Amino acid sequence: MPILETQNLSYVYGENTPFRVQALENVNLSIEKGELVGIIGHTGSGKSTLMQHLNGLVKPSSGKVLLDGADIHASKAATYAARFRVGLCFQYPEYQLFESTVYRDIAFGPRNMGLSKAQVDERVRRAASYLEIRDTWLDKSPFDLSGGEKRRVAIAGVLAMEPEILILDEPTAGLDPRGRAQIAALIENYRVSTGSTILIVSHSMDDIAETATRVLVMDNGTVALSGTVDEVFRDAAALERHGLDVPQITRVFLGLRAHGIEVRTDIYTEKQARRELIGLFKKRGVLQ
Amino acid sequence: MIRDITIGQYFPGKSPIHNLDARLKLVLTFVYIVSIFFCKNFVSLGVSLVYLVIAVLLSRISLKLIAKSLKPIVIIVLLTSVLQIFYNDDGTVLFRRGWFEITTGGLIMAVFTSVRIVALVLASSLLTYTTSPTLLTDAIERLFSPLKKIKINVHTIAMMMTIALRFIPLLIDEVDKIMSAQKARGAQLDSGGVLKRGQALVPVFIPLFVNAFTRAYDLAFAMECRCYRGGEGRTRLRVMKFCKRDYAAIAITVVCLAGIGVSNAFLTALI
Repeated sequence: MPILETQNLSYVYGENTPFRVQALENVNLSIEKGELVGIIGHTGSGKSTLMQHLNGLVKPSSGKVLLDGADIHASKAATYAARFRVGLCFQYPEYQLFESTVYRDIAFGPRNMGLSKAQVDERVRRAASYLEIRDTWLDKSPFDLSGGEKRRVAIAGVLAMEPEILILDEPTAGLDPRGRAQIAALIENYRVSTGSTILIVSHSMDDIAETATRVLVMDNGTVALSGTVDEVFRDAAALERHGLDVPQITRVFLGLRAHGIEVRTDIYTEKQARRELIGLFKKRGVLQ
Repeated sequence: MIRDITIGQYFPGKSPIHNLDARLKLVLTFVYIVSIFFCKNFVSLGVSLVYLVIAVLLSRISLKLIAKSLKPIVIIVLLTSVLQIFYNDDGTVLFRRGWFEITTGGLIMAVFTSVRIVALVLASSLLTYTTSPTLLTDAIERLFSPLKKIKINVHTIAMMMTIALRFIPLLIDEVDKIMSAQKARGAQLDSGGVLKRGQALVPVFIPLFVNAFTRAYDLAFAMECRCYRGGEGRTRLRVMKFCKRDYAAIAITVVCLAGIGVSNAFLTALI
């Protein structure tokens, strides 16, 4: 049974005003335990709205969200419980830090769960270690940290609830390349060591190509394409139709091919690119 | 949700009312609101209501929205009319039980006050529904520009109003986002007693203030980078100029005012 499922999920913003927007229309997804799913789509495609449905923050206009087969809107208690089982980390989460110390901010989620002091402490330290937050930071004010450090603290605040499903909206937006790589690696490390399910929402292919086991492309409030990274990124024309670009590195190889150089074009990650280029150089005698 | 508030909101459109000169609209709204209080009988009240209904229809704002703008004042209208019926004992008595009596004077007062309140709110919501906040503050700046003579910095005040108005939707969005984020971490913002609710707002307001100050600094820098130094010698992108439709609006308003005046003069005053 899928751990998280939506059935004919639809949502309308601003019903009865001139600003009425059908943000989601008949979305059916099912996410299996342990998957890392990338949800991509251009701005306004409905991906952020979808995400807020999955932990019960937004109530669908029609349709259902099922967690382990049970409707999360069945009762108030069920909705509240879903918040902790499905951890949601918004875009630019560092803007939501509020406590006097990093420790207290990370502890906010676990404290709301009603855990004992010892359990809260254990979870804060575990979350901090997943995000490589040093012990010396824990007593600092979160407002004294740098942008990338704040981001890690904010993500740790969600991780500390130890959700079975973690949803991250553009977790690397606005970071430099090193910061992006670091966050991506920390998330992947968290998934491998805990076996939790992760959804990454993004408008950039590059973020997802590296790690996702499955990709969903959203457009106009519906799931337009879905499949493995290979299946979805192979069809550059279809992606462009939905307002998206293939990853930068893929574009390089498509360009090489257009110049008459015999290379594969199903290249999405640096690792694949390096292997392909070294192979090419060897074939041409540039390298031994 | 917070997004449902419509008072003061602007609904873009291309109707004749939207296209009226913003200064004129502001003045006409003011004149109209004053004129409602000069209506002394049902005919003049009728004339001013017809004027308002025409304006509403011309604006092509959906009637549902209009109704929504009246929702918050329903209680005030009901309360004032009940009070009028209770306390006014002019005219003939229609109904009496013990100390409680309903008189024609009371009923008439109740009708007049409710119509006035409704018309007042409708007229002012029509102004904000059809005029963008920037145009509105622009209009205010121009209308009050004579105050510059007595050393009141009209431009700065208008600029502050523009910025404040521009920031309202941004801050509402931000409150929405922060609330969602804290709810996602299990904050309970809509249950518990007064004290508990107050405490629950701390995680929302601290980030809100921190972000608002950051934004204010950023905006100030951005304005300085573009050499903003206040109103001195600034020219405008959109020059406001009266055209035929504005003169037509003035004419119609004058006719309406004349109608009110004539019926007040020739018919008996009820209040």
